[in-house]
Amino acid sequence: MKVALKIWRSVAGGERTLRDYEVDAPEWATLLDVLDIVKDTVDGTLAYRKSCRMMICGSCGMRMDGAAVLACKTRMYDIAAAGHVPVISPMGNLPVIRDLVVDMEPFWAKFRAVDPYLRDEGAAPEQEHRISQERMNAVHKESLCINCGCCVSECNAWESSPEFLGPQALAKAMRFVGDPRDGATRARLEKLNGEHGIWECTRCYFCTERCPKGVDPRDAIAKLGAESVAQGIDRDMGAKHAKWFVTSARTTGWLRETELVPRTQGVVESIRQVRFALELRKHGKVPPPFPPHVAKDVRQSELLHELVTLQGRVGYAGIVQGERALERHAIGVEDGARDPYGPGSFPRPFVAADPEAGEAPS
Amino acid sequence: MKTVAYYKGCLASLSAKELDTSTQALAPKVGLDLIELESVTCCGAGDIHEAEPDYYLHLNARILAAAADTGVDTLMTVCNVCTLNLRQANWQLLNDGALRERVNRNLEAVGVPPYERDVDVRHLLWEVAEGDGWERLRLAAHKGLKGLRVAPFYGCQILRPSKVLGFEDPDRPTSLERIIEACGGEAVDYPAKIKCCGFPIIQAREDTALGELVQPIEQAVDAGADVMVTPCPLCHLSLDAWQSKLRALTGRDYRLPVLHLAQLIGVAAGLPESELQFRRHVVAVEPALEKVRFEV
Repeated sequence: MKVALKIWRSVAGGERTLRDYEVDAPEWATLLDVLDIVKDTVDGTLAYRKSCRMMICGSCGMRMDGAAVLACKTRMYDIAAAGHVPVISPMGNLPVIRDLVVDMEPFWAKFRAVDPYLRDEGAAPEQEHRISQERMNAVHKESLCINCGCCVSECNAWESSPEFLGPQALAKAMRFVGDPRDGATRARLEKLNGEHGIWECTRCYFCTERCPKGVDPRDAIAKLGAESVAQGIDRDMGAKHAKWFVTSARTTGWLRETELVPRTQGVVESIRQVRFALELRKHGKVPPPFPPHVAKDVRQSELLHELVTLQGRVGYAGIVQGERALERHAIGVEDGARDPYGPGSFPRPFVAADPEAGEAPS
Repeated sequence: MKTVAYYKGCLASLSAKELDTSTQALAPKVGLDLIELESVTCCGAGDIHEAEPDYYLHLNARILAAAADTGVDTLMTVCNVCTLNLRQANWQLLNDGALRERVNRNLEAVGVPPYERDVDVRHLLWEVAEGDGWERLRLAAHKGLKGLRVAPFYGCQILRPSKVLGFEDPDRPTSLERIIEACGGEAVDYPAKIKCCGFPIIQAREDTALGELVQPIEQAVDAGADVMVTPCPLCHLSLDAWQSKLRALTGRDYRLPVLHLAQLIGVAAGLPESELQFRRHVVAVEPALEKVRFEV
């Protein structure tokens, strides 16, 4: 089959140009296979990373039509058959070295910052560690990460604040926080509660959407937040913000909106916001806290809180992993919810209706 | 007419009352009969999920149970964050019998009816972007927005994660554009329309949030938008109320009016100001609408 691509070519610091390529490729070809054919038969100077060709090494992250993908996981048949010419560009949020190769150093720096290895802080164990399947389930998907960078490429918080630890490092951190063999859980959580840690995540869910391995980094970050709160590590404004929602739901049912700012930021910082708040108040954006807006039958939500607190499913253990739900999708049971990669799923990132679509790397 | 259980969430009850009044006024024009849920609480906005996840699950199960109890099949939301929180809990409960049984036992223990009959959670946007709602919208929007240039802003939690939301292509959504055009407006395209507005961290990490917020505002203004429309009251709050803080960041005074989805359709459908309540917006809306004030 004929496969056409547009590829953003560049040398660091130089101008970017969008070049057209068309090659013959076998029907089973992936994007990576097509790039190999381009390099072998059209232009040997095309630069991209690759190694395993089977979604394990994590080398070939790049963007297709503006969305991060693993080139070796992306089949070209449907795209070529629809006559679509995808635009291939390097991953976002990382400096471009050449063509589709980005400098991964900022990525590895965050990775190293979370101590991505087991820390056994106590005496050497007398026998091998024995861990229940249930305990390992809590970090199963986090263990699947192949460090490809597709999540970091799309992270909206990292884009705005490049010091943010980012989805990959945080998911990796959860993999060790949730590992019963690790002896440094508290120290890890203290560190992850820093300025550019857990609470800088903006919940855009791009990481979860793009991850080619199902790690769901946003879920891992929520688990770290829940575990921090459960262990009383809750000084961060993000943790206080989250806890105020619990207090609100328990006491009035609805969010006690106007009190949220002082509860999150503290009194001193809130006073600095007074002028801003007064401006909003003119437009009814600062509803008076008294009398509170109380939900009907709010006693039920208070009792529910007491009950689930007694049952003690706190921290990351309280977050439903959806194993059963995922299992049902894996074996093809359609139940209204969608499997992102199964039959009937969106042909992401390929959209045949818009052949001119494409995005320049930022 | 389609009868739905209406979950308005926190903001539409408080700082974004204009969203509630415009939704209630618009509903009959697009074929929706709303049963407002009373014994419900906040969905947790992702925050309770991150602080006390088991409580999050139970609060949302209670909301789903209340909707099921009304006898309808659809729980309608008007907020992205409510939509994701409720759909996520629903997805877990519908697919995991043991989990549902445990949660239902707890609900019953505190006197809440268990969540037994399944309901689907759908945003107002989805109700008017397809089927009967779409047909009625096209008729109702006869007053037209006549060439008003409208920037659609989707926000995150109505698109991603698509396995939980799944209404449309999360990378190239079209529902808002179709609605804008059905109302006679012109949809303005810009890259940040599917990105984050920064709201979830606007209190805890304001600088990072503003770095996100500036993108849709600046891109929409530079693309020539007269107004922006969003299906999410949290996005609305940051886009409208925090917009003034971008001045310090960029030196530009954007003054881009931001409308709730129900207001935009409401303008096209000729709803009165008493329902639209534009006076509750921080960035004035009226000047931009002058150019489409129709001869009634």
